Amino acid sequence: MFERRLYYHIDWALLAGIFALCAIGLAQIFSATGGFTRIYYTQIYGMLLGIFAMGVCLTIDYRSLADKSHLIYLAVLVLLLYVLFFGAVRGGSRRWIDLGVVNLQPSEFAKAVLALVLAKFFGESRRGAITREDLAIAGALTAVPLILIARQPDLGTAVTLIPVAFAIAYVAGMPMRILGILALVGVLVAPVAWKFALKDYQRERISTFLDPAQDAKGAGYQQIQARITVGSGGLWGKGFTKGTQGQLRFLPVAHNDFIFSVLAEEQGFAGVLVTLGLYLFVILRALEAARLAKDRLGAYLVMGVLASFTFQVIYNVTMSAGLAPVKGLTLPLMSYGGSSMIATLAAFGLILNVRMRRFTN
Amino acid sequence: MAETPANAWRTTLKRRLVVAAVGLLLWSAGIEARLVYLQVYRHADLVVRAERQQMRTVAASAKRGEILDRRGHVLAYSVDADSIYAVPTEIGDPSQAAAALCGALGDCTPADRQALADRIRRGRAFVYVRRQVTRDQARRLADLQLEGVGFMKESRRFYPNKELAAHLLGYVGLDNAGLAGLEATYDGLIKGHAGTVLIQTDAKRHAFSRIERPSTTGATLELTIDEYLQHIAERELQAGVAANHAAGGTAVIMDPWTGEILALANAPTFNPNIYRDASDDERRNRAIQDLYEPGSTFKIVTASAALEQNVVHPDDVIDVRGGVLRLGSRVIHDTSDHGVLTFTDVIVMSSNIGAIKVGLRLGQERLGIYARRFGFGRPSSPDFPGESPGILWDPAKQNEGALASMSMGYQVGVTPLQMAAAVSSVANGGELIEPRVVRAVIMDGRRVPVRRKVVHRAINQSVAAELTTIMEQVVERGTATMVQIPGYTVAGKTGTAAKLEAGRYSKSDYNASFIGFVPSRKPVFTIVIVLDSPHGANGYYGGPVSGPIFKRIATAIMRQYGVPPSINPAPPLLVARYDAEDSHEQPASTAGRAPSIVTVAGTSQGSEAIFPDLRGLSARDALHTLARLGMTTRLNGAGTVTRQEPEPGAPIDRDALCTLWLERQAGPIRLAGGSTALTAGGSTALIAGGSTALTAGGSTALTPGTTQP
Repeated sequence: MFERRLYYHIDWALLAGIFALCAIGLAQIFSATGGFTRIYYTQIYGMLLGIFAMGVCLTIDYRSLADKSHLIYLAVLVLLLYVLFFGAVRGGSRRWIDLGVVNLQPSEFAKAVLALVLAKFFGESRRGAITREDLAIAGALTAVPLILIARQPDLGTAVTLIPVAFAIAYVAGMPMRILGILALVGVLVAPVAWKFALKDYQRERISTFLDPAQDAKGAGYQQIQARITVGSGGLWGKGFTKGTQGQLRFLPVAHNDFIFSVLAEEQGFAGVLVTLGLYLFVILRALEAARLAKDRLGAYLVMGVLASFTFQVIYNVTMSAGLAPVKGLTLPLMSYGGSSMIATLAAFGLILNVRMRRFTN
Repeated sequence: MAETPANAWRTTLKRRLVVAAVGLLLWSAGIEARLVYLQVYRHADLVVRAERQQMRTVAASAKRGEILDRRGHVLAYSVDADSIYAVPTEIGDPSQAAAALCGALGDCTPADRQALADRIRRGRAFVYVRRQVTRDQARRLADLQLEGVGFMKESRRFYPNKELAAHLLGYVGLDNAGLAGLEATYDGLIKGHAGTVLIQTDAKRHAFSRIERPSTTGATLELTIDEYLQHIAERELQAGVAANHAAGGTAVIMDPWTGEILALANAPTFNPNIYRDASDDERRNRAIQDLYEPGSTFKIVTASAALEQNVVHPDDVIDVRGGVLRLGSRVIHDTSDHGVLTFTDVIVMSSNIGAIKVGLRLGQERLGIYARRFGFGRPSSPDFPGESPGILWDPAKQNEGALASMSMGYQVGVTPLQMAAAVSSVANGGELIEPRVVRAVIMDGRRVPVRRKVVHRAINQSVAAELTTIMEQVVERGTATMVQIPGYTVAGKTGTAAKLEAGRYSKSDYNASFIGFVPSRKPVFTIVIVLDSPHGANGYYGGPVSGPIFKRIATAIMRQYGVPPSINPAPPLLVARYDAEDSHEQPASTAGRAPSIVTVAGTSQGSEAIFPDLRGLSARDALHTLARLGMTTRLNGAGTVTRQEPEPGAPIDRDALCTLWLERQAGPIRLAGGSTALTAGGSTALIAGGSTALTAGGSTALTPGTTQP
């Protein structure tokens, strides 16, 4: 299955970029949590398990994986259902399967599996153009895990499934007309959703985003603090472990959702530039993998996997800069979180997989 | 394969990938612009904001753990009190605000008001208005609804018994930091971890504090101190100091077997609730900080060394005729001409000349070794970091004159606590045990006992026994006959030493001390009394000055602890109990069958101690008894004890766990026909089958008639 010569086709540059980001993230976790804490070591275990998962996803030909995609998809749905009823409750939502030593978060893995099943669906060369039925089926495939995850409730992770479907449909040639119609529907539905679908706390988050100062003590607090944290970092930053905002806990969960703000405070604009550059490099390099892919399946798989990653990066950085409402979306590769780290590295395993098999038959 | 439909997908893909990449780059350009705006353009402004809000972070003091005595009585506790602060930038007119605040506080002078106004005018982010106000003041201040004034909870320390054990406990400053005594020594344990509170003001300029990190409560200290004994020691010491017109004094009560300090009293004393009003002299813990030359009490060291080294035998005759000894240029006097004395009588009569002659035979080297063995010359307990190590000269540098001085307790500096440890080692058969005041630390619901620590063996058991015999005679017929306690044998030694003032020995100021232990053959208490500069009608000698204090304390605490008399001890008694199995009262026995004689172990400190029969006792009394045996107890059920493990009569293993099963019975006291029940000392005694039982002090049985006069 794994031929020796494939080894020479692994994209070492992409790998280097990924690990550099992991290292920066780990260093910031060290700084934000104050040393060699349990969180710090958990993150290291997450990385080691992630590298293992990456190796597995790299070794098995993505075409064999795609052939089994319907089974994998069903398995994830079963896990999501299981979590909904028997999952460990934390912070008011059921997201985790308690495995004793580690807590598994199946929703993190749902993203890559959805990418796989949709890539397989659109990749099967039937006709050239995409029909509405195709889109409807793809929509249904996306909606089922999305609703299950949203029920946990974990709206943040649920929303990251949407870019997966969109990205694959988009590069598969979805007519721009349909995209326009969807956008129009979105605009029309939003006020209705605001009134009926959103919960109070979700409405509050959006309204405080629009005017954080109206509730400086409550919901707008984090956003104001994020702005102060980033801004007080300046050009060169306050230095490693010297970031007062994060250390004094003005910024909550600094090792998690707001790790980018902490980075901006301690390493300044210079550090942010380097980190953002690395993210751009990783994303563009993965886009290149999609371009070079041997077949449609490979290209769409890369796009699907990359879409949720990119969406999270864009959203988290925008939020950390105080430009988006505060939502529990982590910064992949850098934020603290075992399941997220494993799932992200596994997903990159798939991208590497597609790229290194571009010459094989 | 050019431009076939099969490759159309790739064309679409490439085109749309380019669009995606361009979109990504546009976003990154936008976010970089935003970061430049925040981090470069608005940097200065945001740094100021960060600093300002960080300056408003204050530490929230944690709730301090309690300090309890050995029976769980609270000696020190903390309560939440409101502290008032102001955010000056939010206050428009400081003078007006200060006036309003002062009006609500109700007790400030014009000067206070001016000072407050100045503080508010000068401060920026945070100033205290008044810390730890009373509940009424807090309510009145809250009613004012002032702009820029807020409240936060702080912990305030209270000592409910005021002066009781003040020197031992110490006191706590406003910032929850222990400043003296155990509060300082164990500050790290009992203070807990301070949290942080962020002071902010909302849009309406009302200051509010937001807890960023909650504080954690500190550990509770359980002391070896017995509140009741401490009270007796303080009361008698105060009375003794007053009666003898002394400058001050110290009394230490110690358990010679465990090293536990049961009471530690100093005079003068102070009230730690208002420690600021006390002078340094009042706050000084004399028992550990004051060095004194022990004088004749130190002869127990000289005697121990001489006996163990076989330099003298107790019956050897020593010539102290004339009452005067010339040593170079020095002349040493005895109180009177004793003629020729046995070595025993040298100690009993406290002859300086005799002690010096023995000391000279012993030599510097050996006397120095024994002084160290008794724990002199170094701090005796880790519970008192402020303890003075004492002064002990290097034997190699001592001349004969210095040796002579040391033999009778001069030219050595000791603390009363060191002396208590040394005396205890004679009492317990020769082991020097580390004195301690902390019995257990209770943290997170777990009680961690502090274990007894034997430093080393000071002298062997036979020497300790010989010395005890000599010390008994000191009380029987020597310098301390006034210490005799009817019913008990007492071992003791007097000491009188001129105080060193400006390099010369004073002719008017003396330290009068008495050390000893009771009952001498089975000691329960070691007591050390030191009085500083007595000038009363009793003179300045240790016997008449400190002896009566010793006696009064010893009598009271032996009654409290129910120590059985050691002279003509009371005959063994019956302890009856109600047997639930048939409704008739029966004389109690170990198994509820035929009456048998059960002695209730009073003092079980000896090695031959056996386990008492606790059945029929209330939980409180059973615990009381077991606590004195130093055992850990587990209770099952409620009511009176019906079953116990280990069985009565089993040898006591101090480390073992004792389990008691209790049951509620029909009535607390059941009476057999024609007999009466007596209660004494809080426990119930039951009279049945014609024999009389009376329990006093919880467990010791006394027959009427043999109680002390």
